[in-house]
Order: sequence, then structure tokens, then C-alpha cells
Amino acid sequence: MLIVFIHLGGNMAFGSVKIYYQNVQQKVLNFLPNSEYTSPTSVKFIKNTGEKISSAEQRLILGASALMSQPFIDSHNRNVDEKTRKVSVARTIAKIIAGTTTGFLIRKGCIKGIKALSQIPGPNVPKYKTIFTPKNIKDNKTDAFAQYRNAMGTIVALLVMMFTNFAIDAPLTRFLTNRLIKKQEENQ
Amino acid sequence: MNLINSFSSFKNVLYKNYGENPGTMLVHTGVLGWILSSLAQVSAVVFNDKISPEQKSFLIPQEIADAAVNILSFYVITSSFKRFASKLVSTGKLTTKPIKDFLKNSGKSDCIGNSSFNIESLPNFGIIKNEYRPFKNGVDVIASVIGSVISCNIVTPIVRNKYAAKKQKQAIARMNANTPQMQSPRGISIEDYQKLSAMKYSGSMRV
Repeated sequence: MLIVFIHLGGNMAFGSVKIYYQNVQQKVLNFLPNSEYTSPTSVKFIKNTGEKISSAEQRLILGASALMSQPFIDSHNRNVDEKTRKVSVARTIAKIIAGTTTGFLIRKGCIKGIKALSQIPGPNVPKYKTIFTPKNIKDNKTDAFAQYRNAMGTIVALLVMMFTNFAIDAPLTRFLTNRLIKKQEENQ
Repeated sequence: MNLINSFSSFKNVLYKNYGENPGTMLVHTGVLGWILSSLAQVSAVVFNDKISPEQKSFLIPQEIADAAVNILSFYVITSSFKRFASKLVSTGKLTTKPIKDFLKNSGKSDCIGNSSFNIESLPNFGIIKNEYRPFKNGVDVIASVIGSVISCNIVTPIVRNKYAAKKQKQAIARMNANTPQMQSPRGISIEDYQKLSAMKYSGSMRV
């Protein structure tokens, strides 16, 4: 009896949250004007973005925009003293450069590697080149298959980066941080 | 044999779930990236012999709390952006001319912008599928990238800086009070500690 009561109560609470969420969503949708892309260039750009942007490009965009925003945020952090702030900015820039470079290259490399190892099975295709091909795939030119390769490449890259994070990122970040701090001190 | 079957299922699940949803893939792999990066950070502390057990008892929960902020912020912001963008396209609020004409010809013009309406559930959706899917994927990917930039480069650094400053002040206060937990075995000045702290807590870039 108690369990049924709790179950019903839970369902009602969940239902209320869902209705509230839908109402808010509807209000936002009503507030926004209808938009129609009529320019073929804009539509082509949007479609190409969906096809071409993988996690590697996303990482590059994140890194480039991080260089514009994060050092600024760190340099305006009034919660710490000036000396800490300067080290913090140097560390941030070094982290972004090291992380973006290795992150982009490893993701790109792994996606390329998965592409080579996910061929459609055939008489002239060695078995190892189909190791990452899902079952029953007959066409490797579809967008869905390209997205699958991106996803698999990204997952492999993340596993690789568990090691390179220590082997490359950490020492490179330390090296770049020290160089930047030295440069800061020379400029003073 | 079991391992081979599991890998085969994994490939098919990946193909089925992400093949037509690159935006979702970016969100999920982003979260996975944060989780693995956080695991690396935590294990770097756990397996570092140079850190005393007392310091570890302070640093490990701190790293875990830090990871929770990073992961939650990324997931909540990025997936919200992506979901909202998807909703705009699936309700016909954001369209291209062929999609709008399709809705008009299907007699669904009055359903545009209704949150319970979904173009994909129309019985004649197949007619517009090839136009609709690449457009929706593009919008999803753009929204995911914008969401991840806002999360990783604006929200997380601000939250982390506030959190790190609070923790730094607490640690310095403890050091001044000469509590045994914060005394370094090798001896460390406050200035050095601040420098080390800043080295550790600055920015928030995942692997």
C-alpha cells in the first residue's frame, strides 16, 4: 500500500515537473520568431557543419576561444593576489596550447586511423581493415557512417589521451608555463 | 568469443545512436572526455608517492568536487543548448524553404512552434528526410559547439576560480594555525604554496 502510494506520488511529482517544463518550453517557443533560411550559402554552411565538424574540430574551436576568454577571466580574478594571478594566467595559456595541440592531433589521427580500419569487407580488403566496421554495412559513403567513424575515432582518442595526458600534456604544460613566467619576469 | 561479440554489439550501438546524431555524439564524447580527464587528475594524486596521506585526504575530495563541477557544467549547458536547437528544428520554428513548403503542403503550418509537434513523426516524413536530416544535424552540431564553448571557457573557469580561491584561503588559514594536516613534510612557505596552488587551479581544459 505504502509502495503504491509512493509510486503514485512520484509519478505525480514527475508529471508536474514535466508539464511545467513543457509550459516553459512553449512560452520560449512562442516568444521566438519563426526563422527560415532562404540563402543557399547559409543552408549549405549549416549542412556542411553537421557533416564536417568532428570532435577534433570542436577541440580546436574550444582551444581557440579558450585563448580569448580564459586568460582574461584569470587575470581579472580578484579573489587571489597579483602574483598568483600572473602564474595562473601563464598556467592557463600553457594548458590551452598543450591541451589543444595534443587533443586536436590525437583526435584527428585516431579518426583517420579508424577510417582506414573500417572498410567495407570485400575480396581485396584485408581482414584487419574491417576490424572497426559494424555488421551489415554495405555503403561507406553515407553521412551516418562518417559520423560513426568520428564517434569511434573520438572514443579511441580519449583512451589514448589517458596516457598522453601524463606523457605529453603535463610536461609540455610545465615547460610552457615556466617559459611564460620567465618572460613575464623579464618584462617587469 | 564473448569479447568479440561485445565489441561487435558496441560498434552497432555506436553506429545506431550516433550515425544520425552528431550533436549528441559531441555532447556524450565531451562528457566522456571530462570523466577520463578527471580520472587521470584524481589518479595522479592517488598514485603520487610524494604526497603524504594527510595531504591526499584533502586533495582527493577536492579533485572529485572539481571534476563534478566540470562534468555537470559541461553536460547541463551543452546538452541544453543542443536539445533546444533540436526543438527549434523539429517544431519547424527554424527551417529551410523546402521544409517550410513541405509543412505547408502537409497542412501542418498551424503546428509550427508547438512544443509537442515533431516533423519526424509525420507519416510522409520520408519525402523531406534528405533535406531535413543534414539541416538538423548541422544545427545540432553548431548548438553543441556553442554550448561547449560557453561551458568550458566561460562558466567553468569562473566557478573554478571562485572555488579554488575559497579552498586556497582555507588552506592558508589552516597553515597559519599550524594544523598538522596542512604541514608539508619538506616545509613550504605560504608564497610557494600560493604559487603551487595557482599552478594547479587555473583554467579548465580537458584532455
